[in-house]
Amino acid sequence: MLEIAGLQVGYGEIRVLEDCSLRVERGEIVSLLGANGAGKTTLMRAVSRLIDPGAGTISFEDADITRAPASRVVEAGIAQVPEGRKLWPDMSVEDNLLLGAYAKRARAHIDRSLEEVYALFPRVKQRRRQIAGTLSGGEQQMVAIGRGLMSRPSLLMLDEPSLGLAPIIVAEVFASIRAINARGVTVLLVEQNVAGALELASRGYVLETGRIVMQGSREELLASEMVRKAYLGL
Amino acid sequence: MSYGLALIYGVLKIINLANAGILMLGAYVTWWMWDAFHLDPLLAPLIVIPLFFVFGVAMERLVVRRVLDQEPIVSLLLLFGVWLILQNVAYVIWTGDTRAIETPFVDATVKLGAMQLSWARIYVFCAGGITLAGLQLFLTRTHLGRAIRAVAQDREAAKLTGVDVDRVNAVAFGIGIALAAFAGSLLSLLFSFNPDFGGTLQLKSFCVVVLGGLDSFVGVAFGAVALSLAEAFGLRYMAASLQNLISFVVLVVVLIAFPKGIAGLLRSMRRG
Repeated sequence: MLEIAGLQVGYGEIRVLEDCSLRVERGEIVSLLGANGAGKTTLMRAVSRLIDPGAGTISFEDADITRAPASRVVEAGIAQVPEGRKLWPDMSVEDNLLLGAYAKRARAHIDRSLEEVYALFPRVKQRRRQIAGTLSGGEQQMVAIGRGLMSRPSLLMLDEPSLGLAPIIVAEVFASIRAINARGVTVLLVEQNVAGALELASRGYVLETGRIVMQGSREELLASEMVRKAYLGL
Repeated sequence: MSYGLALIYGVLKIINLANAGILMLGAYVTWWMWDAFHLDPLLAPLIVIPLFFVFGVAMERLVVRRVLDQEPIVSLLLLFGVWLILQNVAYVIWTGDTRAIETPFVDATVKLGAMQLSWARIYVFCAGGITLAGLQLFLTRTHLGRAIRAVAQDREAAKLTGVDVDRVNAVAFGIGIALAAFAGSLLSLLFSFNPDFGGTLQLKSFCVVVLGGLDSFVGVAFGAVALSLAEAFGLRYMAASLQNLISFVVLVVVLIAFPKGIAGLLRSMRRG
């Protein structure tokens, strides 16, 4: 479904991604692991077309999107829930969600999408008239995921959804990701919480200083000496 | 005019120094249509607003877009240059003579108790209120309006939800320019003008926008009322020639005391 080949991205002189290749098949949850600064966020930003790759190709459902404008990527069915959530803090929760359905592919289904998001996150429904900036971190994360779902994506990319949240909220967020996947949405998950991410994902990639250094199924990754030492602290 | 300034700053993060030139052009176009074609100046906005919206969109596409990523000084200088050009074009077309619109409506007055008010002033005041309400509805109830606010608050998040930021920039700039021209068209009913028209108003407009908060229209409306009250009271105690001084004193005080304006103050209170 998503195929990245030989991707190279840099900011000015600094190269962040070096010859990265990965693929995500329809229906999977794939996690992208790696330490801070490994280039995980950069990879997602390149797919969402917030930055220009220096070399390599990104294709989605067999269409090349390496140079497509950001709005076309959303239109094609990729939504990103960015690190730090990036809600519009001065707008109401509901306005945040409604804007998530800005893409043409989503406009006709706004009411249904809104209902689905509220069913998934009842707490968000209670808070729908509140100003987004006044919500707790966990609630904001749910709104951010909801906003991503409002565009009715076939691939949802989540960047550090557990960052800064209390363990009990993290469990809730991870459960919602599982539920979203069960409805047929493919998920690419970037996480520093490696144990949690590997519980969800069927496959994973390990990114280190801009290169994919390892890939495999959940079992392979959990069994690997490197993953156990570096990311699970075992 | 202040709304236009606030909208363009909010979305594009540039200060539109050409606003005064657009205001002046709006006044001239209104006057010219009245003088040459006997079009009632009250109907002029019907032509002025769409005309300048298109002009604004074109200006963004052709000129402003090129400097959006650069240092603020670049767009400041560029738009200051545009202002000078507009001024000189107006001198060439309409000469430097002072113009004024005189229709029965413009001169008519009404007595409210002890006050004598001109209809034109009442009309301009109401038009300002209606514009604010219209803008607020547009920005909160339509997809495009929400997208404009989204780009103003977080450009990247807007991109991630599929908002075409370039298009929003162009539309916001177009609306900002149309608002400035509309203001010029309205003010041509109240004041006589020449190609330098708008300079002082632009400075006051900055005060109003800073006072209200750089990206809040309700705040801007409050700012306008507060500033005009301050000026009116000030006039009772000092010479009329010092009137503009009040604007700047207010500007400096506001910038020091609460730099995010009235709206920012309210916002931080609401968040606790």
